[in-house]
Amino acid sequence: MSRRAAFFAAALACGAALLLLCDPAFAEAGRHPFAVAGGETASAGGGFAGLVLAWQNKFHQQLQMAARALKSDQNAFWTLAAASFAYGVFHAAGPGHGKAVLASYMIANETALKRGLLLAALAAALQGAAAIALVAVAALALNATAQQMTAAAGLVETASYAAIALLGARLAYDKGRGFLESWRAPAIGEAVGRFACVATDDPDHIHGPSCGHLHAPDPTTLDGAGFSWAGALSAVVAAGLRPCSGAILILVFTLSQGLFAAGAAAVALMSAGTAITTGAIAALAVLAKDAAQRLSRRSSKRALLLGRGAELAAALFVLGFGLALLAGVTARGGA
Amino acid sequence: MRLRLVPALLAFALVLQSSVARAHPHVWVAVRSEVVFAPDGKIAGVRHAWEFDEMYSAFAVQGLGKDGKPPTREELAPLAKTNVESLAEFEFFTYAKQNNAKLKFKEPTEVALEADEKKIVTLRFFLPLETPVSAQKPFSFQVYDPTYFVSFGFEKVEPVKLAKAPAGCSLSLVEPKPLVAADSQKLSEAFFQNMSPGADFGVKLATRAIVACP
Repeated sequence: MSRRAAFFAAALACGAALLLLCDPAFAEAGRHPFAVAGGETASAGGGFAGLVLAWQNKFHQQLQMAARALKSDQNAFWTLAAASFAYGVFHAAGPGHGKAVLASYMIANETALKRGLLLAALAAALQGAAAIALVAVAALALNATAQQMTAAAGLVETASYAAIALLGARLAYDKGRGFLESWRAPAIGEAVGRFACVATDDPDHIHGPSCGHLHAPDPTTLDGAGFSWAGALSAVVAAGLRPCSGAILILVFTLSQGLFAAGAAAVALMSAGTAITTGAIAALAVLAKDAAQRLSRRSSKRALLLGRGAELAAALFVLGFGLALLAGVTARGGA
Repeated sequence: MRLRLVPALLAFALVLQSSVARAHPHVWVAVRSEVVFAPDGKIAGVRHAWEFDEMYSAFAVQGLGKDGKPPTREELAPLAKTNVESLAEFEFFTYAKQNNAKLKFKEPTEVALEADEKKIVTLRFFLPLETPVSAQKPFSFQVYDPTYFVSFGFEKVEPVKLAKAPAGCSLSLVEPKPLVAADSQKLSEAFFQNMSPGADFGVKLATRAIVACP
């Protein structure tokens, strides 16, 4: 059993590592010459289905066409809406640091499915709102140029990386403590032995699952830290603060056509689409975590330690990732 | 227990697979290029005119230009400077070869970013070869973004021209192979091997222009 748990812990850790290492921002060598505010840069290499690629391309082009048509034809809004939604779903299926952070947070911390879905939805909504706010303030109100907007987005980007690092530090602290507690706790087998059936005078006393008293500390109650909304919301901010380039492009384009409201609506729909994909990823992280916990509950101290170790590893990944992203921003001369 | 784990792991692997998957372009560029010859008949470099798509164009001219008019070259100059400064790190997106050896370019000159009546922007610059090369052996180049953030494609009509070429020089364009069939194969192989086909869509979709002189 513990071997299986070890396998699972290793799989989780590898998963988190892959998600992070595949992040385009991580692979980013330097500022792309044609970078668009939002700091999103495509990653080199990789590419599976030409099909998915073609879909994404198609949605993007449809978006562009619909936004253009909108000027003369109000019905084009529905095309724009549909394309935005689809773009949201598929775009989010690509690599992105937001999903990596969210998934790692889920692995490290979250065990409730509904709450996980809510967090994913909030992160997606924040990402859309960030893009709308950026373009509304910078372009609409201040008539900023492309370069000024890119600079502003750079600041937001830096802030979001700092938020990731902070989230990682906090998680690592909590999970590190949880790990140490499990380390110091007596082995579960021993504990069961100690609690087991010390003579009671009650002949009806049966040691079954329903007997109502604790025979051994339930591993889940040993969690280093319980759920906190402050922690969850900081994960949402870390995952969703950086606006995406696609949304910025649509907003600026619709603004240039005098149709900012339509653009904002399209971006909101894009966020809804993104929420579906990130929600699925969050759900998977929760399920994986759940399975891991079911394993550790039934098994030895070693398996419990491995589970905790996986959580700690996910937390450390978030921390390292945030720091690496920050270092990247600093290296290219402060956004 | 093991059975219950399998779908979870498989699903997790699928997510990973899709996340290592691919990037897709946010900016489209229609490329027009000129292969420029020096007076001694050697190839001196490549002159590019890159026309951006409507969305990037709208982004580029945002906040510039007065009274709804397209911005002037001067107004666009700072953006042009930023664009071109970071081009070197990406090898100017121009990959030239002769005798299977990669040729190097120097910093671009004659840089200008222009917006037309419809506010579509075009970036123009001349990209000199570090050392001019004889054109008697085939010289070829491709324009692509290896990160595939930008999708470069040659313009449909007269995408590549020869400037001041000696008599008898010829030009041909080699289109890339169709993508989907080959890559579906890669997909299934990649899934069971290392989860990354290691493919590079930017270069896979790039047309190669070949110049040969007698």
